[in-house]
Amino acid sequence: MPYHKIPNWTPEQGLEVLTFGLGGETFALEAGIVREILDVMPLTQVPGADEMAAAVINFRGRIVPHADLRVSFGMDRHSTTADSRIIVIELELDGNPTLIGLAADRVNEVTVLHALDAEEPPVIGIRWPREHIRCLVRREGDVVVLPDLPHLFARLTGNSAEPATLH
Amino acid sequence: MTASILTVDDSASLRMAIRIALSGAGYAVTEASDGAEGLAKATAQRFDLIVTDLNMPNMDGLEMIRALRQQPAQAGIPIIFLTTESDDAMKAQAKAAGATGWLVKPFQAEQLIRVAQKVLAR
Amino acid sequence: MSEDPTAAFRIEAGELLEQVEQGLLDLRDNLSDMGLVNAVFRGLHTLKGSGAMFGFDALAGFTHHCETAFDRVRKGDVRATPDLVDVILSAGDHMRALVEGDAPEATGQAILSRLAAAVDAAAGGGSAPAPAPAAPAKKGWKLSFRLPADAMANGTNPLALLDELRALGETTIVARTDAVPPLADLVPNHCLIGWDCTLIGDISHDAIEDVFLFVMDDMEITIEPLAVEDAGADADPVAQVAVEAAVAAPVAANDQQDRRAATRTQGEHVRVPAERLDELMDRVGELVIAQSRLSQLAHHGNDLSLRSVSEEIERLAGEMRDTMMVLRMVPVSTLFGRFRRLILDLANETGKAIELVTEGETTEVDKTVIERLFDPLVHIIRNSCDHGLEKAEDRIAAGKPASGLIRLSAHQAGGEVLITITDDGRGIDRERVRAKAEANGLIQPGQVVSEDELLGMIFHPGFSTAAQVTNLSGRGVGMDVVKRTIESLRGSIDVKSVAGQGSTITLRIPLTLAIIEGLLVRVGEGRYVIPLAAVEECLELSLEEDLRSRGRSIITLRERLIPFLRLRDLFVTGTKPDTYQKIVVVGTGAERVGLVVDQIIGNHQTVIKAMSPLHRNVASFAGATILGDGSVALILDIAQLVALGQPREERRIAAA
Repeated sequence: MPYHKIPNWTPEQGLEVLTFGLGGETFALEAGIVREILDVMPLTQVPGADEMAAAVINFRGRIVPHADLRVSFGMDRHSTTADSRIIVIELELDGNPTLIGLAADRVNEVTVLHALDAEEPPVIGIRWPREHIRCLVRREGDVVVLPDLPHLFARLTGNSAEPATLH
Repeated sequence: MTASILTVDDSASLRMAIRIALSGAGYAVTEASDGAEGLAKATAQRFDLIVTDLNMPNMDGLEMIRALRQQPAQAGIPIIFLTTESDDAMKAQAKAAGATGWLVKPFQAEQLIRVAQKVLAR
Repeated sequence: MSEDPTAAFRIEAGELLEQVEQGLLDLRDNLSDMGLVNAVFRGLHTLKGSGAMFGFDALAGFTHHCETAFDRVRKGDVRATPDLVDVILSAGDHMRALVEGDAPEATGQAILSRLAAAVDAAAGGGSAPAPAPAAPAKKGWKLSFRLPADAMANGTNPLALLDELRALGETTIVARTDAVPPLADLVPNHCLIGWDCTLIGDISHDAIEDVFLFVMDDMEITIEPLAVEDAGADADPVAQVAVEAAVAAPVAANDQQDRRAATRTQGEHVRVPAERLDELMDRVGELVIAQSRLSQLAHHGNDLSLRSVSEEIERLAGEMRDTMMVLRMVPVSTLFGRFRRLILDLANETGKAIELVTEGETTEVDKTVIERLFDPLVHIIRNSCDHGLEKAEDRIAAGKPASGLIRLSAHQAGGEVLITITDDGRGIDRERVRAKAEANGLIQPGQVVSEDELLGMIFHPGFSTAAQVTNLSGRGVGMDVVKRTIESLRGSIDVKSVAGQGSTITLRIPLTLAIIEGLLVRVGEGRYVIPLAAVEECLELSLEEDLRSRGRSIITLRERLIPFLRLRDLFVTGTKPDTYQKIVVVGTGAERVGLVVDQIIGNHQTVIKAMSPLHRNVASFAGATILGDGSVALILDIAQLVALGQPREERRIAAA
């Protein structure tokens, strides 16, 4: 049962999420990890950083990495529009709560997903590595993607990852 | 009415543990970090119960208890001291100094609360 | 912020162990000082008691043995000997490990057997405890009791006791008033009434004793089982009258007065968790940034009153930041104090007599800096004791006092603190340094190098002059690690040595890590901060020179060849160079590198913020800061960039 990958998500209990659009797909984040939704602001590029988190922003005086899931999902990056936002989330990485600003083409809504609508990502027919996704959820004729954020970011914090160099 | 308790201990962690336990049980807790401070606070304000360590710098618990019992206003106020099981001689000295009872370290929050209830009865 | 007594205990345990250690070190110099014995005993006692409270059972159990040993010293039963003190010192190390939760049990056992041996050597004999029994009854109890006369004054409420008895079972209570005197003689708060009770029910003897727990020893009480029908009933023990005359406490009174006087002089302190200070620091940093935006606005407009408010806020924010900095400062005595123990251990290990002198202990440094200075200083001191100081016979032969001297001193100079470690030993053997450097290919045989450069060789990775690696210094870290640590603190390290007279190592450390003066530069479209302390000079790099230097990354600066890095290339900006690029020459120690930037924007006082863990693997940046317009600028990691510049340059030369 794919919903088992998400803590406290049971057939009886819906999962409250924030959905947002990115690269033509609809993604969902557990509402509990969302800290704030920001308008687009100037990014400061970090030379040598991984492409997925290539910049930082000033979030209330803290230096927070700006991450773009489009990189992991092999989507084209297009320029920002009036609808673009930054969703600040807090993830536990290596046991430390870590703030990350996620790029979004548009923020849709806070809604409840039902466990019984959840499906494993198909083995074939999707463009992305399966391990980047926790599950897909059918909803009103659309498919909502629940990305596996801890997995996606672990690569950047892990000491095993080869250090990003400037050359 | 909320009973007020003064806890005297030079160990901040112990004071914290005692305060958390007693205030959780509904008591109003005041802290002092050594005998001198304990004596000053108990003289300035009447408490319903005093819980004190014995081994402290800057006036130990025994001295503080003796000094308190010399004040007529402190007559009848229960004083519980904290001790370790090996300390029978200390126990006798504290009793002689005027302590009401004791609690053996280590203790659980419930034991502390039970002792407080015992001496605070009515 | 939630309160965690266990976390508080860990911190407290560290402090207690520190006090115990200092007490032991003092005691070692003055074995008959009972004040110190009492202080050590008290520390161990508190550690044991609190440890058991917070579930550190292994710590409590282990500490109990040390406490017992010291209790015997306190009672004059056992003499304080250097051996005993040394064992307790190592026991302290083990206790630290127990607090941290990773202490090998075998170590503890070994220490305890050493302790037993040391105690036996210092005394002789032992003791044995005595247990106590208890038994149940079936039908009920008959008791008769009388409280001590002062029970009420001492806080015992007789009515509460009677209530507790009633709560145990069916109870009949009769008061005995035979001891109550005529009214005229009555002292109102004396308790002179006795009580006879019968308690019916399945009540244990212990339950009754529990009621009288606190007064049991001082009162008259008999507890007997009710007359029983069934013959099998056992003869229950009868708790007897036990009045213990209290003996006055034989505590060293003058010692307590001394200590009281000592604590008085320290003034009042408030203990604040370090992270709260860091949070406050962040807020102050934000305030400074917001203030600089306000001041920009105020200066663009024509509103004089706005400008005056803005200036007022600027002043306040500046003062607040300065006060904040002071809050984070701690005296270096907290650091130096920890080396007394090290010197003692080193003296024991090397068999050399070593004296430690400290100076300038009231000099204050940012707490983070203090913590990070400890390991480098340990290494330097070990080196000095191990390689620098001679054996007593050699010293006497050289006309020096038999015992070697290590001097630690600190003083503030401008925005820096200078810490020097001096020994009066043999000095650094230049010939050996030279031979080693030649063997390692650091210099060519016969190459002329300056005195400073030669001594600087000891900071090269893998360099060690000891003919054989000893237990002390051969711990896998060399002076290169020391140097790197100091540089990561944005400090520098320098060594001087006179043959036969000793060596001096000087550390220069910025007062604080939280704020730096920076040079704000532009590279492509990005703005970066270069710590001003590392900047030596700024030069112009004209387009022609730039073109001419294509293919090379080296400039000549006052007859010295300096490698340089084009930050535009390094940061892959994809932009064209400005017409008038600048070279900012930065250095750490003896190594320099020129950083080519597009524009120098100006000086900028900067609150340093840590990079996110997601950028942990990115070298080149030491942190980030927020500029007046709210955007982020990255702070260059000079040590990294200098290192980056060097090996490439060496590779280039090697290839040429």
